[in-house]
Amino acid sequence: MIDDWVGHYHSRRESVVSRLPAGLKLGVALGMIVGTVLAPPGAIGWYVSMAVVLGLTVALSRVPVLFLLKRLAWLSPFVLGVALVNALQPAARGGWETVAVKSTICLLTVIVVSNTTPFSGVLHVLREARVPGLLITTIALMHRYLFVLVEEAERMRRARASRTFRRGRGARWQTLSTVVGQLFVRASERAERIYDAMCARGWK
Amino acid sequence: MNAAIEVTGLSYRYHDGTEALRGVSFRVAPGECVGLLGPNGSGKSTLLLHLNGLLPEKAGWDGAVRILGHAVTPENLETIRRQVGLVFQDPDDQLFCPTIAEDVAFGPQQLGLSEAAVKERAEKALAQTGLAGFGHRATHHLSHGEKRRACLAGVLACEPSILALDEPTSDLDPRGRREFKALLQGIAATKLIATHDLELVVELCSRAIVLDHGAVVADGPVTELLNDEALMLAHGLERPHILRHKHPHG
Amino acid sequence: MKRRPSTERLAQSVVMHIPDGFIDGKTAIATAILSAAGVGLALRQVRRQLPPRRVPLLGLAAAFLFAAQMINFPVAGGTSGHLLGGVLAAALLGPSAAIVVLTTVLIVQCFLFADGGVLALGANIFNMAIVGGGGGYVIYHTVCRWLPGTRGQVAAVAFAGWCSTVLAAVSCAAELAWSGTVRWGAAFTAMTSVHMVIGVGEGVISALVLLAIQRVRPDLGSEAGEEVGRGGTRPYRGWGEVVGFGLLAALGLALFVAPVACPWPDGLESVAARLGFKHKAVAPAVAAPAADYRVPGVRGAAGATAVAGAAGTVVVFGLALLLARALVREGHVKRDA
Repeated sequence: MIDDWVGHYHSRRESVVSRLPAGLKLGVALGMIVGTVLAPPGAIGWYVSMAVVLGLTVALSRVPVLFLLKRLAWLSPFVLGVALVNALQPAARGGWETVAVKSTICLLTVIVVSNTTPFSGVLHVLREARVPGLLITTIALMHRYLFVLVEEAERMRRARASRTFRRGRGARWQTLSTVVGQLFVRASERAERIYDAMCARGWK
Repeated sequence: MNAAIEVTGLSYRYHDGTEALRGVSFRVAPGECVGLLGPNGSGKSTLLLHLNGLLPEKAGWDGAVRILGHAVTPENLETIRRQVGLVFQDPDDQLFCPTIAEDVAFGPQQLGLSEAAVKERAEKALAQTGLAGFGHRATHHLSHGEKRRACLAGVLACEPSILALDEPTSDLDPRGRREFKALLQGIAATKLIATHDLELVVELCSRAIVLDHGAVVADGPVTELLNDEALMLAHGLERPHILRHKHPHG
Repeated sequence: MKRRPSTERLAQSVVMHIPDGFIDGKTAIATAILSAAGVGLALRQVRRQLPPRRVPLLGLAAAFLFAAQMINFPVAGGTSGHLLGGVLAAALLGPSAAIVVLTTVLIVQCFLFADGGVLALGANIFNMAIVGGGGGYVIYHTVCRWLPGTRGQVAAVAFAGWCSTVLAAVSCAAELAWSGTVRWGAAFTAMTSVHMVIGVGEGVISALVLLAIQRVRPDLGSEAGEEVGRGGTRPYRGWGEVVGFGLLAALGLALFVAPVACPWPDGLESVAARLGFKHKAVAPAVAAPAADYRVPGVRGAAGATAVAGAAGTVVVFGLALLLARALVREGHVKRDA
C-alpha cells in the first residue's frame, strides 16, 4: 500500500539530475520555492521560467510524468476549496488561479528533488546546516523505520480483520484502535532494542 | 590462560519478577565455537545480553560474568563491548542507519577511529560478508539474508575477538542459511551461537550448552549431547537429522 | 487498508497540511519564528529530561504516528476518519517530546511526500505541533488534574483531542486570512465547522488507542509520574512546561487571529487600510452554522459566535466524560495515590 504512495521514490533511476550533489539540488529548489511564493500575481515571466526549468528537470531526471500528475492530484481539493470560497467571497489579493499556479510549481519542485536525492544526502545537508543533532537523529530513525512500521501495521490489521466477525463501525473502530495501540507498544519495545544495539556497538 | 567467556552463578530476574536465569555457570575457551541450545523462553537471549552488559544491574542480578578476564561492570563496559560483538535476533533492530555503509561504519566511528580507518574497516567487513558494493543501498530494500549478513558485517567491522549470535539463521531460506554458515566458518573468533538450528550446531560447533528454564542442564561435546535423544526431548529439542543419516549437503 | 489509499490520504492530509503558495512571505516568516522558538524550547527540554535509553523512542514514535495516520477508520459511505495524534503523542511522551516528534513527522512528510509546503512548514508545525500538540497537552494536563484516574485520562484525551483539532483549524484559517488567500470570515467558518466534526473522530480514536495501550502496558500509557522500567525514572512534569507551551500557542493564536477577526475601532481601521489589510465587517456567507448568527453589527456576530463556541465546547466536554464512562468499566478505574 505504501508503495502506491511512495512508488517510484524507491525505483530511483540513475540520471543526470540524480548525480548532482544534494546540497545543490536542495538549495536551488529552495530558491525556486521562495521566489515563487514571493512573486506577485502578475509575474507571468517568473512562472513561465519556473515551468520551463521544471519541465527540463523532469525530462532529465526520468521521473515518470504520470507519477507526477498523480501526486499533483493531492493539491486539487485544497485549490478547489480556496476557489470555491473565493468565488463567493473574493479574497484580498490574487485569484485562485495564482494560488493554483504557485502551489503546483512548488509541489513539483519538491517531488522532483525528493525523487532524485537519497535521504542520507538530505540528512547530510541538514547536519551541515547546523540543525540540532537530536532532531536529525529523530528524523533519520523515523525515515528508517516508517516502512517497517507501516508494514507491521498492515500485517496486524489483516490478521485482526481475518478474526473479526462482528460487523459494524463500532467493532471496526475497536479493532483498529487495538492495532494502533499494539503498534505503539511494539514500536516502543523496538526502540529499547535499538538502544541496546547502539550501545552494543559503542554508542554513548 | 584466561577463558574468553567465564560465567559464574549468573542469576537474573526481570523487573516484573520473572526469573530469566538461575545460577548459570560455564566457560568458553578462546577460539572455541559453542552452541547455546534450549526451548523458547529458556533464557538464551537474556544470557547473551549479559555478555555486553546491556541489562541494568539494579534488577535482581547475582553472579559474575568475565570477558577475557575483565569483569562486566559499568566501568568496563567500553572494553567489554569492544571484545564481544553481539548480533541481535532481529536484523531490523540492529540496522538502524539509513544505508548499509553508514551502519557498518557506525561501530568503527564509535571506536574513535580516523575517517580513513573507518572506511577501510567498513569495506573489509562488507567484502568479508559478501556485500561489497552494497554500501549505498537503503536498509529496508535488502532481503532478509542480506540484512543478516549486514548485521554480521557491522559487528565484524569492530574486530571483536568474541562473537555472540542470537538465532542467526532463523527466517533464512536454505541458500541463505548455507551462505551464512560458510561465513561463520571462515571467521576465526570465539563464537557463542544461541540457536534452534541444531544442524548448524552440529556443523559448526565443537561444544553445546543446553539451557532450560534459565538453568544449564547439559554442557558437553556436540555429538555426545545431541545424540542423547532422551536429553534432547526432555528439554524441548530433538535429535537432529544430520546425526541420524548421512547428510548429502554436507 | 482500503484499495484507494491515495484518496484516503488526500482526504485526511489536505485539511491540515498547508501547501506552498497558500500563505505569503510575511506569514511564513512569522510562523517560522514562532515554530523555531517552540521547537527549540522543546528540544532543550527533551535533552534535559529524556534518559538516553529513550532517545530512539522519539524516532520510532514519529514512525508510529506516520503509520497510525494512514489507518482508515470508516465513518460513512466512502469517507473515513484518521488519527492526527498530537494529543495522543503528548499524553504518551509529554509535551516537549511530542512537539519534537510531531515536527519530525511534518518535516519528513513535507520532503518525502510533498505533504505540506516547504515554506509552509513553519505554519504547519505551529498549527499541528505547537497548538495541536503543546496546546492540546495543556488542556489534557488540566483535565487530568481535575479528574483523576483512568477515566479522567480518557476523558482528558478525548476532549483535548477535539479542542486541539479545532484550535489548529482556527490557527490555520487565521494564517490563510493573514496571507490574503481567503477571507477570514469564510476561512474561519469553513475550517472550524469541518474540524469540529473531524475533531470528534480525533478525540474518540485517541481515547480508544490510549486505553488499548494502557491495557497492555500501563507503564507506557501515562507520561506523568514515575516510570518503573528498564533503567529510567521519568521526572515529574511540572507546570513550567505546561505554561510555557500554552503561552506560546496562545500568543501565536492571538497574533494571527486578532488582526483579522477582531472588530477594529475606527482609528486602527484606517491604519489597517494603509497597511493593506482589507478587512471588512464580519459577514460570514458560506456554510450553515454561521448563518444563524447574522446579527447587525460586528460585535453582535462576534459575541454570538463566541457564545456558541463556548456552548459547543461544554457539550463536547460532556460527551468526552460519557465516552470515558462507557469505555472504562468500574474494575479498571485506577485511583491515583
